Amino acid sequence: MSVEQLLAYIPLDVALIAANFDRFLWGVWMTLNLTFLALLIGGIIAIPMAIARASNHRLWNPVIWGYTYVFRGTPLLVQTYLIYYGLGQFTVVRDSWLWDPILSSAWWCALIAFTLNTAAYTTELLRGAIIDTPKGEVEAAIATGHSYRSRMRRIILPSAFRRAIPAYSNEVIFMLHGSVVASTITLQDILGVGRWLNGRYYLAYEGFITAALLYFIIVFAITRVFRWIERRYLRHLTRRSEPTPSVELAPSPIR
Amino acid sequence: MTANSALKIDNLHKSFGPHQVIKGVSMEAQKGDVIAILGASGSGKSTFLRCINLLETPNSGDVYLGGEKIRMRKNRHGETIPADIRQVERMRARLAMVFQGFNLWSHMTVMENVLEGPLYVQGIPKSEARDKAQALLAKVGLSDRADYYPAHLSGGQQQRVAIARALAMDPDVMLFDEPTSALDPELVGEVLSVMRDLAEEGRTMLVVTHEMGFARDVSSKTVFLHQGEICEEGPPSQLFTNPETEQFRAFLSRMN
Repeated sequence: MSVEQLLAYIPLDVALIAANFDRFLWGVWMTLNLTFLALLIGGIIAIPMAIARASNHRLWNPVIWGYTYVFRGTPLLVQTYLIYYGLGQFTVVRDSWLWDPILSSAWWCALIAFTLNTAAYTTELLRGAIIDTPKGEVEAAIATGHSYRSRMRRIILPSAFRRAIPAYSNEVIFMLHGSVVASTITLQDILGVGRWLNGRYYLAYEGFITAALLYFIIVFAITRVFRWIERRYLRHLTRRSEPTPSVELAPSPIR
Repeated sequence: MTANSALKIDNLHKSFGPHQVIKGVSMEAQKGDVIAILGASGSGKSTFLRCINLLETPNSGDVYLGGEKIRMRKNRHGETIPADIRQVERMRARLAMVFQGFNLWSHMTVMENVLEGPLYVQGIPKSEARDKAQALLAKVGLSDRADYYPAHLSGGQQQRVAIARALAMDPDVMLFDEPTSALDPELVGEVLSVMRDLAEEGRTMLVVTHEMGFARDVSSKTVFLHQGEICEEGPPSQLFTNPETEQFRAFLSRMN
């Protein structure tokens, strides 16, 4: 049976997908750069916010609490619309220096919305991990003579980051899935290309199944990376595996 | 205060809310002294020890380490706070503490636990610190466990690591807060024998403990705390054979 005959059994227009595959690859690039830039920037700004939240800072704690409450309490789609469609209504914004390179661009608006969204979730996640640092370990750091800054840097954050890894892997996957919102503000991310294919050829499955598969592959890769990270950094929480003896001690059965 | 004074505590008071836990305790340790602090639970002995390195802030009273006073001041609510947190941090580095619950840093290996203070508090060069850490782990009998994580060790081993971690700071005074109370009975001995060696070396130690044998045989002075006050103190030979107060006699008979 030839390849053509085999393909004929698949109820999808494979040739059409193949012909547009470069578009899908550009979509993958768009999805990945938005997702991971947002995770990177959001993760970096989440660290000081989480510290301020965990240490009950008198000024910053309520402010940051308000921010995370709002951004975790509203859908990412709404946040993205408010930034992309909403801000442009104000003449002040349109006339400001922020307008031309940044707020008029869909990509920048998506990045800002995604960053603020993931930063809110990551802040709360990290705050929990910081608070959960065993009290005795913090006391031991104090008793050793560590200053506040140095025990945060040397003991509390390294311990908290490790404990946050499993929950953070979920955040990464949620952010990837959430990035489909980009396709609703004209961006050609993975889903955006799928929608374009559907709109152009009225073939829903071709575009959306390809998109789903691509997301699936990325999630698979992310989970593999996190499994490796957990094995490397959460060794202290696992049971120690005794080295297996190089010589088999049990006598081999006689045949 | 003599030039030989390692640690002096003068008229220490501590309350939690309305509850007075330490009601004016004074104590002085000369270099090389091993002071065993006994007392029923709730007598304030752990709180007293934690006030010395300011894990708890005393309401009043002074702590002198090698003649240097830890400076305190009142904040605007009238609470006592350290006048200079840098000075307190410096003092803490000279006052190593061993905890009841070991409190090893769980994400660090045994070696990293022992290296932490010398490298990141004292700023000692890495190779020098590593050599010293190896020697200390050998001293507590755990050379072969340097790359283990705390969770993979027994309680007795963890406490010995904690002692090595404390020793790595070259402390002037070591504070032991019930170091064997969380251990299974068969693991108590290995920790006590390490502590016995330290006493013989001439380390200055304050040991809050329930181990009567250790207090009797090893301490140079035994102090019995009762309801936040020193009820009885003196050389253990005298205290254990001839208790003067009814409270200490009752305590001893309960412990035996």
